[in-house]
Amino acid sequence: MSVEVVVNTSDLFEMVEQVWVSYLDPEGVNPLIPTDEEQPSDVHSSVSITGSWTGHVVYASSTVAAKKAAAAFLAMGVEEVSEEDVTDVLGELANIVGGNVKAMLPAGALLSLPQVVLAPDSATKYPSAERITELYGLWEGEPVSVSMWQSRNEMNKEETA
Amino acid sequence: MKILIADDSRVMRQIVTRTLRQAGFGDHDLVEAADGQETLDKTVAESPDLVISDWNMPEMTGVEVLRKLRAAGNDVKFGFVTSECTPEMQQAAEAAGAAFFIVKPFTAERFDEVFSPILG
Repeated sequence: MSVEVVVNTSDLFEMVEQVWVSYLDPEGVNPLIPTDEEQPSDVHSSVSITGSWTGHVVYASSTVAAKKAAAAFLAMGVEEVSEEDVTDVLGELANIVGGNVKAMLPAGALLSLPQVVLAPDSATKYPSAERITELYGLWEGEPVSVSMWQSRNEMNKEETA
Repeated sequence: MKILIADDSRVMRQIVTRTLRQAGFGDHDLVEAADGQETLDKTVAESPDLVISDWNMPEMTGVEVLRKLRAAGNDVKFGFVTSECTPEMQQAAEAAGAAFFIVKPFTAERFDEVFSPILG
């Protein structure tokens, strides 16, 4: 069975933009600005999707952007944010974006619980998967990125279909 | 009125609480549950007027909680706030007797639109 991936960079941007509009920038003063350049990260979170499409959705950012996101989500000052707050918020960000991605996939996909790593996204490897879509942006000058990694088995299925 | 907020994510329970406040429903009595079993138990024990539930939770999913409640004759107003929104999930929610389906991320306007008719 051939499964065409229908989630592209502009779809990812739309999803992420909604997160900014709803929680991180409700006043519309500090939006996420997309960039063409790959952005470095300090921390990242991911969810896996299995079923009609198999792969990973990864959210990554600088530590400063993660702390700012936690402060906005939890309505507290950036200086009050604990490591647990950052971890929980990064997990929720991966869950929200992953859930929105899942909604665009063919029926029969399952979303995993989020995983959070307080290290650059390059620290996590996804064996047998290839990065197929990525979105890089700057939030008040701080790097944020979202990427999708598709299982190579899935790609082989497409090629042989 | 009493509202039960069910989500395994502490962050999301907090955001739901804050968004309820922003939408003008901050005066209601808020109770929280962190997994499906706790949601079922607290819905029975606390008799909330409204349950706002996540879909994917440990122990029992939100829709399983709703089915158990309805099977036991409990007709509390119950709906979902979830990041996953597929047509089959919406159909399952509706078939189980859900009153609403809100997709994350959500805004205070969306809460107002959904909860005004329920909470007045």
